[in-house]
Amino acid sequence: MSEKKRRRSEAATTSKKPRPSSSYAESLRKQLKPDSEILASLRLFSASSSSSSKTPDLTLADLDPSSSSSSISVSDRSSTSVKLSIERLFLSLARSILSINGFSFSIPSRSSSHHLFLPHLDRLVLLRSKPSSRPFSSLSTVRKATVTARVLSLVHAVLLRGIHVTKRDLFYTDVKLFGDQSQSDGVLDDVSVMLGCTRSSLHVVASEKGVVVGRLIFSDDGDRIDCTKMGIGGKAIPPNIDRVSDLESDALFILLVEKDAAFMRLAEDRFYNRFPCIIVTAKGQPDVATRLFLKRMKVELKLPVFALVDSDPYGLKILSVYMCGSKNMSYDSFNLATPDIKWLGVRPSDLDKYQVPEQCRLPMTDQDVKAGKDLLEEDFVKRNEGWVRELETMVRTRQKAEIQALSSFGFQYLTEVYLPLKLQQQDWL
Amino acid sequence: MDTEGSSGSPEEPKKAKRGRSKTPQKSNESLLKQKSPAEFFAENKNIAGFDNPGKSLYTTVRELVENSLDSAESISELPVIEIAIEEISKSKFNTMIGLVDRERVDKELYDDFESTKAREKRLAKEARIQEIQAKNVALGKKLKEAATVKGVKGRGEAAFFRVTCKDNGRGMPHDDIPNMFGRVLSGTKYGLKQTRGKFGLGAKMALIWSKMSTGLPIDIVSSMRGQNYVSFCRLDIDIHRNIPHVHLHEKRENKDHWHGAEIQVIIEGNWTTYRSKILHYMRQMAVITPYAQFLFKFISDTADKNVTIRFARRTDVMPPVPPETKHHPSAVDLLLIKRLITETSKKNLLQFLQHEFVNIRKSYAERLIGEMGPDFSPKMSVKSLTSQQIVRIHQLFRQAKFDDPSGDCLSPAGEYNLRLGIIKELQPDLVATYAGSPQVFEGHPFIVEAGISLGGKDVKQGLNIFRFANRIPLLFEQGADVITRTALKRINWNSYKINQMQDKIGVFVSIVSTKIPFKGTGKEYIGDDITEISSAVKSAIQQCCLQLKSKIVKRLQARERQERKRNLNRYIPDASRAVMEVLQQMAHDPEAKQLHSDKEDDEILKKVASQEISEMTLRECLTQHVEQVDYEMALEYATQSGVNEEPREAIYLNSLEGSHNFFNFHSPVFVFRLIP
Repeated sequence: MSEKKRRRSEAATTSKKPRPSSSYAESLRKQLKPDSEILASLRLFSASSSSSSKTPDLTLADLDPSSSSSSISVSDRSSTSVKLSIERLFLSLARSILSINGFSFSIPSRSSSHHLFLPHLDRLVLLRSKPSSRPFSSLSTVRKATVTARVLSLVHAVLLRGIHVTKRDLFYTDVKLFGDQSQSDGVLDDVSVMLGCTRSSLHVVASEKGVVVGRLIFSDDGDRIDCTKMGIGGKAIPPNIDRVSDLESDALFILLVEKDAAFMRLAEDRFYNRFPCIIVTAKGQPDVATRLFLKRMKVELKLPVFALVDSDPYGLKILSVYMCGSKNMSYDSFNLATPDIKWLGVRPSDLDKYQVPEQCRLPMTDQDVKAGKDLLEEDFVKRNEGWVRELETMVRTRQKAEIQALSSFGFQYLTEVYLPLKLQQQDWL
Repeated sequence: MDTEGSSGSPEEPKKAKRGRSKTPQKSNESLLKQKSPAEFFAENKNIAGFDNPGKSLYTTVRELVENSLDSAESISELPVIEIAIEEISKSKFNTMIGLVDRERVDKELYDDFESTKAREKRLAKEARIQEIQAKNVALGKKLKEAATVKGVKGRGEAAFFRVTCKDNGRGMPHDDIPNMFGRVLSGTKYGLKQTRGKFGLGAKMALIWSKMSTGLPIDIVSSMRGQNYVSFCRLDIDIHRNIPHVHLHEKRENKDHWHGAEIQVIIEGNWTTYRSKILHYMRQMAVITPYAQFLFKFISDTADKNVTIRFARRTDVMPPVPPETKHHPSAVDLLLIKRLITETSKKNLLQFLQHEFVNIRKSYAERLIGEMGPDFSPKMSVKSLTSQQIVRIHQLFRQAKFDDPSGDCLSPAGEYNLRLGIIKELQPDLVATYAGSPQVFEGHPFIVEAGISLGGKDVKQGLNIFRFANRIPLLFEQGADVITRTALKRINWNSYKINQMQDKIGVFVSIVSTKIPFKGTGKEYIGDDITEISSAVKSAIQQCCLQLKSKIVKRLQARERQERKRNLNRYIPDASRAVMEVLQQMAHDPEAKQLHSDKEDDEILKKVASQEISEMTLRECLTQHVEQVDYEMALEYATQSGVNEEPREAIYLNSLEGSHNFFNFHSPVFVFRLIP
């Protein structure tokens, strides 16, 4: 009996415990000013940022002529010009084969040692190196050489017909030779670098992954899409960015969300109607299409971008891919990277600031801590003092939390208190 | 016998423990009882490896074989050992001991009695099985072997075995035989040297076990070199007094000048469960002692269970007999110093230090005595040392610096023998061996030898670990052993181009020492906590792997050369198809023709359009190219590697025994002798 009583009293204390913190959370709610005030301040910020970002996008060549020759950058090319280069390449292959010399491809190396973060460009670039040859006559490269020839011939066929295919489509046209989709995908990137064109110019796209919702109207292959009328699920970002045109928006900012769950909360609560914004998520690591779309919006609409990611090293890694590109696609970082994204939340310092209860925080594993420490060594983090401080806090406290940790104060706390307060205080880094 | 003589062996603490643990047990009677060593081991037979009937059979075989090997090696005779295990059925056993087989009268008395209910159940089950089978037959399904319904196995179903071991060793002096077998903790192998056995337990434990399980005595036949008689002795042991109880002890005629020993013991055992262990033991013993010849037989009433394996001799080279050595000053304890003092023939302290220990020279002994203090002098009588003074000597031994003991007193299997043994028993594709230099652990020298084999017969995929300590195979408690752990966790096999999961890897590690630091009571494994040993094992294995790596790389290159053409040719159809598809599309596209105004290109496209150049043309061209490349690479390979082949292994021919009639075929260079 006494034990039961004790347990009950224990339960009572534990249930009491979150109460002070939740009342604190409620007190934060009281700090909120009327939406109109927040909106006014946001408008001010938005205007100032759009005027400041009027400086034209710098290309490598503009900045430093010497660096353009030392790094590789690809550009969008028309399908006919890409087709022409492939045909030229194949004619030279045929000549080489017919003169009993076999054939060989010459491909710039994309290994990790050839990547460099350029602070003045704010993104990763691929350094120009001695191209590695891929001869048919060597045992180590015969397979890759054959796969490259096959991928090129498939791309040629696609370009000839003026259609688009997905990476998966491409893989399935010759499963037996490719064996594994990662192989055909890798060779596709090689082909991009070799031909000096973006992957979209090859007319090969990834399947849809990213979703957008909010105050945005654009044309998708001629159809007018109003992203406020896309329901809760949002509009899938077209894998082929060429189809997108005529962007229009009355939003004040773009909100980048790491996860689907948080995206759904924001969409269902119609957050974009309270604070006019465009909400984008790539459901984890961003694909090429989402990054291109974000870049496009940022450039054409001149809106500030805020990121809402988990408070762990991986959240920040995802942010880094949006901002300065991935190593895999570094040759195209000029088109893919969207510099100047503000880290809105959830930041390690928010955990104490909003008194996120202990049971919602997770201990970081050794692997997490290592990832965090590695990030501290990265140039794109070092450049921003605020980020370094936040990351140091994370590594020191060895605690991480997901966006959902805020749901402990109520499911709608994120949209009703946390985000408005963040915006009101202009609390971003 | 001086049982304290097992210097530094784990026996002493054990005995001390016995004294303590037994007394409180009987405390309710508060009667002080004495226990003889034989009684102690009879009660704690698991210490000596007699945990259960199966293990007892294994340990009996093991102890007898090891004694035989030691005996033959001690007179530098190439060992020839015959082991026979004969299964004795219960009725045979009963007649042997003169017990009449009795029918069961009161059937319900027995544990395996089947009650009517149980029988009904069993019959119903059998009927069901028959029904299913009949159905299966009707349906034309494949008939499976009818599962034989086993009767309930009774408890008393013991199996008995006669274990016989015959060797060509030294034999035993006629008068010593009773004491050598009938007294636990007496032996000829005490003293500081590398030996297989140590405690003086083995054969005696077999005798104790036979007395416990069958009650039958042990038969010993022995003869020494040059003796004109054979000693025959039948004895058992008086466990309570630890003395032999001789039934028969006589001299018999020695017709064919045989020397050696033959020991026969009848014990309870279990062949079914320990069959593979015993066979593994014999096989591994054959690996580590390739200069011995073993004949192993298992005889039973059912002929298909019989096993006869002959492990042939592969070499005449035998490792030298390990000499007895003196103690290293850093490895002695107080008791040992006291014993050395009582046993020494030296009069004064200086001589004692100089002659009873290794690595103390005269000048060093003088320095040591000077350091001991004013009440020590080089000329003082060693027998008159007080116990305080002995403690002082011990303390100084602990702290002073001495040269490491040399490995001269060790007798490793030898890299050559290890290699031969591996080749003989496993017939691997590749083998590498390495012998480390002597190292020291707590004043005892040790040598690690290792061998790694790849492939071979009866080797399973992955790591097969063969452990040897003082040239005895270790089969049990593999998991915690230093060799197993090193091979599994500290060797990066991949870096030597060896696939740990798929290759058939044999890892052979032999450690010899004057004192093997066994863990646990069973002398079955060496702990992983001694850094000296584990690093020596690791480096020995790595040395072998390094040797193998170069061989493996060479093989891979050779294989690559052989398969290059095939692998390149495999991709020709895909490649030529890919190129052809684009060319054809260009040829049929008027736009493309205009764009490529180059004359040569134009020509190619025209030929494609007219089908003068087809996919087959491209294929042929590529095939030609591959031929050309392959020829060039083969030439390059040949010039690089030259024509040197693997060194040939010498063959060993067994010498023929006895005289034979033969014809000689003469040739200018050799004589060919034919024995019809």
